[in-house]
This record gives sequence, C-alpha cells and structure tokens, in this order.
Amino acid sequence: MILYEYEGKQLLADAGIAVPKSQLIDSTATLKNDDLEILKQASRSGEPRLRKTQDGKRVVLKAQVLSGKRADVGGIVMVNELSAVSSQLTDMFGKTIKGERVQKILIEEKVDIEKEFYLSISYDTDYRMPVLSTSSSGGSGIEERGVKTYQLDILDHSQVLKQVQSENKVPEDLLQKLIDLFFRQDCLLLEINPLVLTKFGEWVALDAKVKLDDDAKSRHPEWNFPLRLVPGHTPTQNEIEAKKIDEGDYRGTAGSAYFDLEGDIAILSSGGGISLTAMDALIASGGKPANFTEYSGNPPREKVVKLTKIVLSKPNIHGLWVVGTMAANFTDIYETLAGLVEGLRQAQGELNAKFEFPIVIRRGGPRAKEAFEMLRGIKDLNLILQGEEVSLSQSAKIMTDLANQYATK
Amino acid sequence: MLLNKNAKILGQGITGAEGSKAAAWMLEYGTPLVAGVTPGKGGQKVGGKIPVFNTVKEAVEAVGPIDASVVYAPSMRSKEAVIEAIDAGIKLVVVIAEKMPTQDGAYIYAYAKKHGAQIIGPNTAGLICPYQKLIVGMLGGGEAAKVFTPGSVAVVSKSGSVAAEISIALKNAGLGVSWAIGVGGDRIPGTIFSEALIDLENDAQTKATVIFGELGGTYEEQLAAAVKAGEIKKPVIAFIAGEFTLSLPSEVQFGHAGAIIEGNRGKPDHKRQVLREAGVKVADNFDQIVGLIKESL
Repeated sequence: MILYEYEGKQLLADAGIAVPKSQLIDSTATLKNDDLEILKQASRSGEPRLRKTQDGKRVVLKAQVLSGKRADVGGIVMVNELSAVSSQLTDMFGKTIKGERVQKILIEEKVDIEKEFYLSISYDTDYRMPVLSTSSSGGSGIEERGVKTYQLDILDHSQVLKQVQSENKVPEDLLQKLIDLFFRQDCLLLEINPLVLTKFGEWVALDAKVKLDDDAKSRHPEWNFPLRLVPGHTPTQNEIEAKKIDEGDYRGTAGSAYFDLEGDIAILSSGGGISLTAMDALIASGGKPANFTEYSGNPPREKVVKLTKIVLSKPNIHGLWVVGTMAANFTDIYETLAGLVEGLRQAQGELNAKFEFPIVIRRGGPRAKEAFEMLRGIKDLNLILQGEEVSLSQSAKIMTDLANQYATK
Repeated sequence: MLLNKNAKILGQGITGAEGSKAAAWMLEYGTPLVAGVTPGKGGQKVGGKIPVFNTVKEAVEAVGPIDASVVYAPSMRSKEAVIEAIDAGIKLVVVIAEKMPTQDGAYIYAYAKKHGAQIIGPNTAGLICPYQKLIVGMLGGGEAAKVFTPGSVAVVSKSGSVAAEISIALKNAGLGVSWAIGVGGDRIPGTIFSEALIDLENDAQTKATVIFGELGGTYEEQLAAAVKAGEIKKPVIAFIAGEFTLSLPSEVQFGHAGAIIEGNRGKPDHKRQVLREAGVKVADNFDQIVGLIKESL
C-alpha cells in the first residue's frame, strides 16, 4: 500500500523526525482563511518557523495524490499572499492530477532551505537485501540523476550507519531513526526527497513517499489507512467493489487484483503465474479480455460468488473464461465452481438477463471430478468443460473463437 | 539443493491442515520424511508412523542429522521456524508460506547465508525429483505421480502450478522431468533461477532446463547474466508471463508479491530480450515450450 504524503509524514513525525507544520484540508471542508488553523499561526508574531521565508513565500499547497512528480502538473503551489490561500485551494480541488482527482490538500509552512538531500530505503532484488540510497542533492528527478547506494545488512545495521555518515552529512541519529522506522513499520519503500537542512540548522523531511508491505498487515493493527488503489489511475466501480471482497476475510483471495479492460471476454482466473499466462494466451489468440482478475488460495464459495457477479456486470460480454491450473494443491474446486454457478445465477437474476454466451472452464485439483459431474448436470448455461488434454493456449483459442461466433450470431 | 533419495526430510508445522495433507502426499510418493515438528504437539504421530517433536533440536537428537526441512508454518510463524531449523544445523530449508512479509524473507535469506544454509522459497510448492521419488513440499498436490513423469528436463518455476502445467505438457509429448523446483514468486527468494540452474549443471539426469518467469524483480535478468558468463552450459528454455500487464498501471502486484513493475524494473519484454541475447531459447507462448525443449535435447 502506497501512503499519501500526509500519512507518511505522520509516521515520520511519530518516529521523531521533523516535518513542516501543516494542516490537512478535505475537499468538503470550508475554505475560509479564518478556518485555516495554520494561517492563524502564520500570522501570529513570535513564530520563527512560520515567518516569511527569504524568497517571500509563506505556505505551500500540496495536492495529496499517490503519483509522484506532482510539481510538474500543478500539484504543488507556493502561496505568497495568505489572502490568496482559499482561492488557490478551490482551484486545486478542481484538478485531476495524473489521473487522480484531488480530494485532500496539505497546507504546509514554507521552510528556508540551506541544503537538500535525497534519502531512501527499499529492498533490492539484485542484492536480495534492503538498500539505503542517498544523494547530497535532492529534488525532482534525483532518482535518475544518480544516487549512492549502500547495502543494508538486515542482521546488523551498524556498518551502513558508519559508512553513510562518513560520506554524507546526515546525522547518525536521524539515519538510525529512519532505518528503525523502515523495519518497525514493515516498509517496502521509505523515501524522503528532499530531506533538508534548514537555515536554522534543523533537519526536516519536506516530502515522504512510503510504501507499506500488505503482507505484514496482520502484525500492524495500527494501520487504519482507508482503502486505495493504484497511483495514476481513477478506479472504476467494479475495481472498488472487487477490492472489497477480501476486506476483513483472510480465507484465500478473490479480486484483490482486478482491472477493467476494453474487451468482451470476462475472466475468472486462478493462481499467480497461471493467471498471467492465461491472459497473455488469450490476447495472443486474438481474444479481448473484459477484465483481469483472479482468485486463489482456496477462497470460500461466497467470495467466488461476489467476484463472478462483478465480472459479469459489464455490458456486451460474449464469453466467460474460467481458467486455472490442472493441479491446484488445496483449492477446493467443487466449492469454488459451485460459487461460480451461484454467482452466474444471481447475476442473471439481478440483471434480469439470460446468459447464453459460451462459458469455458479449464480447471483441475481437489474435488475436480465431483465439480465437473455437478457442472455436467447444468443444462441452462452454455458450459464447455476442459481437462488437462487441452493446453492453456488451446483453451484460450477455443474461448476466443466461441466468443467471436457468439458476438456475430 | 539436489538431495539424494536417502536424504532425511523433516516437516515443520506438519500437524496443521496443509502440513498434514502434504506429509501424507510425501509419504505416499515414497519420500523419506523422518520426523515432524510442531511446538506443543510433541509425542503425536503423522501418517500413523512419523514422530512429531516439540522442537527441531529434539527431532535431530532423536532421528539424527536432517538433510532438509520443509516449513508448512503460517506466514507469520515461518521466520522463527526457519531460524530454529538453521540453528539446529539443517542446511536446506524449504519455506511454503505465501504472504510472508518481505522483511522476514530478507531476514531468513541473510540468516541462511551467514550460516552456510540455503532457503528455497518462500511462497513455493517446493521441489520434486520423480526418478528418486522425492517431494519436499507439495508440488503436484495429491497427484504428483500423475503430473510428474521421470525424465531429463528440469523445470524451475516462480509458480508451482505452472511447473505442474509444464510437466503435463512434457508428459503429453512423451518427455519427463528430472527435477521440478519452485523458487517462489516473492521479492526476496532464498534461491533464484541462476543458483538453481548452476546446481543443475552437476546433475547427470538433467539435459536441459525450462524456466517459468514473470513480470517483476530482476531474477530472469540475473539468469541471463549467468548464462552469458558461461556459468550455465546446458540448454535453457524460458517462458515469461505478464506481457499484458504492460498496458495496465505499474506499481500493481499481480498475484505473487514479487510480480510488480516498479519504475523501469521488472518488465517482461525486457526479460525476454536479455534472455534471448544471452542465448536462451524464449517461448512466445506456452505451447512452444515443448518444441524448443525437443530441439535442445
């Protein structure tokens, strides 16, 4: 899960790392200057960190979106006159930045920068360990401009601390806090760009890009972040609904990866690896998937029912491909395919439709024999049942051909 | 990694729902599973004859040195189970759990390296060697004998189910499998393609290897580098999935934890290109795999 800047900064602040004074504004909030707590502070005397900076700017408005490089597209605005803040806020709330509607804005004090740095901690697949990257310059595009990368021994952090500290000027206790935060919060990425040294000699994180490891969620009851999808993409209704299926129910997964596509063949695939292979095969055979999604890990029947209804909710479906491995280990094929049938029936009822399009099912594993016997007894749906004698590519071709025939009928 | 048929295998977390099923499959297949460990379940028996101990240390004291352990513990318990196995002197640990936190995966990899041990997984169905009747894990589920026929082609795969699919395709073409190894689809796997294939260079049974890779990470690229450097001389055939994801937003995980494009890293078309440049035969679709293997044998 990628955090919004304001959420990431809260983690930093909780870990004792300084961030600018700020106020988060919701798009539904009132936008009068009088209600903006941070501006009252800014106008009060004796607040050294909120006085006008040397370049005359007082606050920064930052659109809270998941995509990076906001500044290039109007997602970061400096405001000179405090009286202009509310009109600037209104302007920014109307924007869509890299495919995401702006729904929250962070108003921050402007900080006087003496020097900028870049710092990030992440996992590197070349070294198969965490790495710490730094640069003694910061700002947009630094990732491409070259940073120095240090291997971070997960069993002993002391070496990297000494090394980084000797080659950069970032204080050791700040580095230690960041490394501790990275591990304690199960981050996949902790990036501060820029990390600045202010003219007052204080180290402040001006930005925060934090990615948390979803697989560690069960040991972090404090992670109460609202549901979100991916950067640079405004989710469709189906994508939102599919993502909800797994919420609060850890038995198997269904729909946690779901995308709407342009085509006419609905997809219900199973198992990482196989799902990807199946999608590539369908597209290679000329078929056009209406969605990508998968379920795996022996999800209960009701999850499959929900996912089936979502993939069939789209107009102009000319086929449904239910595809997975022939050798599932634990997924109860009878239960999941019974869920499929139930989902099909419920969808017909809710849409007041009768599904006549071809439904190609290629599946194997525990209780597959019983499942196929049950399916053979179903006469009111156009089911095409396949076993291991039909390869994935052949199954894809059959699905494509049948969907095309149905579409032109 | 390439155990012989007399290897002594331990199962950790073997009394759980998945562990006990997998243990039964291993025994039925003929694998020398000699003991199990589940804290608090010491004294029980699995499959009517395999003794269960409270700790790995107790198991080793009772049955002698263990060649490999397979950890069926849930994802949040697997790290401590792996450390316990390594501390008891076990040099090969297969970690089945899906959704192990990346931090734990990185930790057990570093810990194993420090202690001269090797991890396979996490997020793997394990490995199988049909001609020696060995399963360490649960590849093939209850149908391993049907899915994996003995032969001379090694299958090294990020996905256990795709390894099974490839093996079925080999069987249908009159070929068979020397070893099938699930390296897992996580960000930080204990064993990667290049390491598995370098080991297989010394396996007399293996004449060629087919790998299944997918988007994400740099392990296919590292394999290409090892082939290019001459560390792997036996023929390699590769099939890489996830082409369609290039048209979708990046930063999305597709199934396995490691199956994610981040920045420019992990794109399947790039993987195919560098593998081809290194001399690996790359199948454009699944049905081409068998033909490319036949050309190579």
